[in-house]
Amino acid sequence: MVAIEDIRARARTLLESGEVRAVLGYQRGSAGTLAEPAFLTEPQQAASLVWDPTCIHNLALYLVNEKKRQRTQRSNDKRPLAVVAKGCDSRALVVLLQENHIDRSEVVILGVSCEGGGVIDPRKLTRALAGRAATTVAMDGADAIRVGTASGETTLPASELLADRCLECARAYPELYDTLYGDKAEGRSYSPRFAALNTVAEKPLDERRAYWNAHFERCIRCYACRAVCPMCYCDECVVDSTEFVVTPNTSADEKANRIRWIQRSPDASESAMYHLVRAMHLAGRCIDCAECERVCPVNIPVRLLNNVLEREALEAFEYVPGTDPGLPSLISSFRDGDPNDFVR
Amino acid sequence: MAEAVEVRKVAQESGEFEPKIVAFLCKWCSSAGSDLAGVSRLQYPSNAVPITVPCSGSVSPIYILSAFNKGADGVLVSGCHPGDCHYLKGNFFARRRIYLVQKLLQFIGVEPNRFRMSWVSAAEGTKYAQVIADFVKDLKPLGPHGKLGAKR
Repeated sequence: MVAIEDIRARARTLLESGEVRAVLGYQRGSAGTLAEPAFLTEPQQAASLVWDPTCIHNLALYLVNEKKRQRTQRSNDKRPLAVVAKGCDSRALVVLLQENHIDRSEVVILGVSCEGGGVIDPRKLTRALAGRAATTVAMDGADAIRVGTASGETTLPASELLADRCLECARAYPELYDTLYGDKAEGRSYSPRFAALNTVAEKPLDERRAYWNAHFERCIRCYACRAVCPMCYCDECVVDSTEFVVTPNTSADEKANRIRWIQRSPDASESAMYHLVRAMHLAGRCIDCAECERVCPVNIPVRLLNNVLEREALEAFEYVPGTDPGLPSLISSFRDGDPNDFVR
Repeated sequence: MAEAVEVRKVAQESGEFEPKIVAFLCKWCSSAGSDLAGVSRLQYPSNAVPITVPCSGSVSPIYILSAFNKGADGVLVSGCHPGDCHYLKGNFFARRRIYLVQKLLQFIGVEPNRFRMSWVSAAEGTKYAQVIADFVKDLKPLGPHGKLGAKR
């Protein structure tokens, strides 16, 4: 059982001693049931930290954003940030460390084990409650979730409420941490790994194409999936070339001949290209936090595109992202035994 | 060139589908291999547009996706045999990357035969001609690709 008091106490000591610049955690949200990310800078704020299955967000993102923000700030506060990290968040941190995007001294990791549980999928919750608003959500043992509404409490099976990624998660505990809260629970009883992926991958080719066409056609190119991804930290993204500066001296020729890899128009083919490029850029880096899928306003199963490469990385190259900060990345390494029979 | 245009025109007039292939050829092997096929006067289909790249390892997945996005019916990436890379290990990196691109394309419903990788050395003019001929043969029954995510 994760004792929230321990996390609060630790956050308070860290802030009181001035060891960290801020603590990133979860607090009760002001709208709805879901917890929201909290950015604590004062010791007395530590009491507002919470931990329950509504702590969905991947806080590694805020570490990346803060790093980006700090680059443009004058202050040279080099103290680390403390981050409350679930299993998937900690794996995101491992990948960021592996890529030398952050340094281990820049972060204090308060690892929290999901203890065989996980976080809920807000869409599943709304569906299960048939539109009623939940007030409290808490784990009740490993296989049930207690949901409180205005009209009383109900207990629902965990497999109906947990996010797909949590149902499939094999390691629901932090990989890397400074202090660990809760026990590392091995062995889980929900769905096998890649269950959601397999339902799509097993369809025949034509159906698969129709399935993805329908999704890509609906994409409105809001780039929410990119904005929420802790791995999408490039300063310039291939889909919006900010480096091409139009000045009064830019000739029509230069404007016409600039390379546009991906057009902005939300055409199915261009959107497909955007999603595939993003999937390729996340190959061997995506730690399956499924935030991209959660934030998608038109419910495109973005996570599956990352999953398919994660499965290939595992099956063909025995590569599991987010396990070891010392490991070379998937794309920048090779082995003699890599598959070769697909080449003519 | 003029001859190739002529051949295509004849094919178009006969109403047969002629696939457009974009071929990324490594400068050191496959490009030289295609040259050899040319100077050896080998007859092979003129559907492939060769694009010489410094190394198969320099072929970014975005080149491949972009080719499909801009209307290619098939894409070929060709490089030196494993161990023969001019840059020592470029083609090993390429092999891993291309494998992933291939799986991803298949997952979203692009026919496996539309995307291909081959090893062609500078001495293998006949193999290059064979690779292109096979590719065209396999692409013809598939018909035009349209674009990525386009309805067919």
